[in-house]
Amino acid sequence: MRFKSLFKNQTFFLFIVILLLSVAAGLINPRFFTLQNFLSILKQSTVLGILSMSMALLLISGSIDLSIGAMMGLGAVISCTMVMNGFNIVLAILAGFFTPVVGSLVNGVIVSWNKSVPPLIITLGMSFVYSGLSLVVSGGQFLSMRGKFYFLGGGEVGGIPVPVIVLVVIVTAVHVLLKYTKYGRRVVAMGGNEELAFLSGIETRRYEVFNFLISGGLVGLASMVLVSRLGSVVAGVGSGYELRALAAAIIGGVTFEGGRGTVFGTLLGVLLLGVISNGMNILNVSSYYQDVVSGLIIVVAVIVSSIGAWSR
Amino acid sequence: MADQSDPHTGSPEPLLKTEGIVKSFPGVEALSEVSFSLYPGEIHSVVGENGAGKSTFIKILSGALQPDSGTIYSDGQEFSHLDPHKSQELGIQVIYQENILVPSMSVAENIFVGHEKTGNFGFISYNRTLQEAQELIDSLGIDLDPGTKVEKLGVVDKQFVKVLKAIALESRVIIMDEPVAALPPEDTEKILHLVRDLKRKGISVIYISHKLEDVLGISDRITVLKDGEHVNVHDLSEEEVGEDLISREMVGRPVEKFYKREESEIGDVLFRVEGLTRFEDAPAVDLEVREGEILGIAGLANAGRTELVRTIFGAENYEKGEFEYQGKRVKIFSPRDAISTGLGLIPEDRRVSGLASGLSVSENITIADLDKLGDVFLDLDREEEFVREHVDRLEIKTPSLDQEVRFLSGGNQQKVVLARWLFANVDILIFDEPTRGIDVNTKAEIYKIMHGLAKEGKGIIMVSSEMPELISMSNRVLVMKENRVVAELTGEEITEEEIVSHAV
Repeated sequence: MRFKSLFKNQTFFLFIVILLLSVAAGLINPRFFTLQNFLSILKQSTVLGILSMSMALLLISGSIDLSIGAMMGLGAVISCTMVMNGFNIVLAILAGFFTPVVGSLVNGVIVSWNKSVPPLIITLGMSFVYSGLSLVVSGGQFLSMRGKFYFLGGGEVGGIPVPVIVLVVIVTAVHVLLKYTKYGRRVVAMGGNEELAFLSGIETRRYEVFNFLISGGLVGLASMVLVSRLGSVVAGVGSGYELRALAAAIIGGVTFEGGRGTVFGTLLGVLLLGVISNGMNILNVSSYYQDVVSGLIIVVAVIVSSIGAWSR
Repeated sequence: MADQSDPHTGSPEPLLKTEGIVKSFPGVEALSEVSFSLYPGEIHSVVGENGAGKSTFIKILSGALQPDSGTIYSDGQEFSHLDPHKSQELGIQVIYQENILVPSMSVAENIFVGHEKTGNFGFISYNRTLQEAQELIDSLGIDLDPGTKVEKLGVVDKQFVKVLKAIALESRVIIMDEPVAALPPEDTEKILHLVRDLKRKGISVIYISHKLEDVLGISDRITVLKDGEHVNVHDLSEEEVGEDLISREMVGRPVEKFYKREESEIGDVLFRVEGLTRFEDAPAVDLEVREGEILGIAGLANAGRTELVRTIFGAENYEKGEFEYQGKRVKIFSPRDAISTGLGLIPEDRRVSGLASGLSVSENITIADLDKLGDVFLDLDREEEFVREHVDRLEIKTPSLDQEVRFLSGGNQQKVVLARWLFANVDILIFDEPTRGIDVNTKAEIYKIMHGLAKEGKGIIMVSSEMPELISMSNRVLVMKENRVVAELTGEEITEEEIVSHAV
């Protein structure tokens, strides 16, 4: 019985898909199966991982934010610009972190205040605002942190990369938030049926705004990990991340309808994307083909993993 | 439509017949040896409790499911199974509850989706579409503008469009699955009228409903299913059949149609509403409910009953009004205020506002009072204990507490909503149509629970459109008409005639 329910579990299927892909990559090039490479997959997955947590949180609550990539880019651009203009590094980091927090708050207020336009449309519009602001601030220039902020994205503690530690902490925290706190339960209920949540005494608008705020905190963190790891950025650095975060969450079993999905499923979605791109790099697949292949694998993975949920 | 003669005067040949249909799912036999026949122009109802196999049977006729064994006869042909395409070819159409219409298209366009009326060069001819739609509408004698967009129509008119669509496909058998489950009495009447018109056109109808009164009113024959077995088939032209006989056969034991309640002790005024004015110039409503009292609210569908109780519960804005709980003034501006005052609402439409259908039984029960489970973090063990207690108390049938509520039957879903307010320990329960879409057996259980709550000293406000329910459950009945309370009935005054005379 237990075994049977395992097979109906989408997360389990996803795990198998990742395993199969890894074995395939490892058979072709044994270098795939090294601790070094494993850590580097995790490291490369950090930024997307944190963003995906923000996306999963919003989707599960019945909302969405398509501007998280643009906000992350704007945060990074602001930090770099401040460093290059001689501001204190701590101040620059704080400003970069809080930019997405404020941006998310603005999104959340608009989304919860206006119930007739879906969040998808509002945040799509806001993504142009934030990516436009990145261009304005950077003036289209190539920006650098001048090597002043390395620890968060590149440091190590006891041989484990700092970003990996950050990812583990964030994933655990969001999992605990959704699964074990009153706040999380209310957010899930809101995603499951907003009217029911309202009639159960939940102040849905406040919760929606607050959820955007938490999401903004995650985006701010992702932004700082990104700027620290890259060391230098251009205005478009965050573009496309929101769609990859969305893909990771959906692959992991989170749905557009809300109320459904898990943090660990989403993490597996992130790792799947990480394994695909790392595997293709190791196998020397031309970067032109990489998007084609990863797109196809995403579609196949979603179909295969939904068979389990579907056959109920 | 070669043969349209009456089943009782001629044509011994049924239009559709099944013999020995068996269908099992892992662990259950959904249908065992079900035989059924349908004559041209016949209204044949299929009744049974939830889980009796009605839906499975329809799915076999519509080709959505294949039987394990048995034979289906139609058009002089024999089939071991049907597929959706074959079923349509034989002229069988199912009218589902779910919306299969395109809201942004007109009635006429919806009717002819998939076989559009074309004119010159194969382009769609709007004139022809409108004209042929009008002809169909007229043939059924209903009042509907073919040019109206479907999104502007009410529930009943949408049902009409679905049926028109089926007729346009030259259906000979129309299967209606609970067409009136969510409808108020006056709309129900329109649907029943439509069914009779279909019969007049020579179209056979398989009618599925929990409402035995309707079933007895329109059917030529009634087939009773219980636990997947064919119990009996009654020919109403040959025998006198009553509701009690049918429900006894459905349940397998005698059922009390009117739940006889013992009198509970009525105490002090628990909750009072004074001068509640929902919008500018709206009539002010006063009401009070006492400990141990069941206050019925009667009225037609648009009398403003649901709006009134939603406003009391803080879910709608209002102009002015005062609320008193146990003699003390309280403020209610949101459901949150209402709940902390001690009110709980069991809404009319479970799926829309009563449940998060993708969430578990546990999550649905505890959501209105999570404070009981911790300050920040939830004590999941305590939650399980609490939920288990309520599931046992209300006898909610669910394989596990983690089961998503959408997989439960209507009656069990309603119990989950009820359990939510018992868990939140509220004193005043507002039921809006407490037994809509619930089978007879569970209905009796819900009544028993409601009465038990009244006996405990809780106050109950019950909006209902079902006369037997209002009459047998209420201590007092308020009759509403056009947002106004027009009468207050107590004791012997609570009769169907009295209620109707004030409501209309």
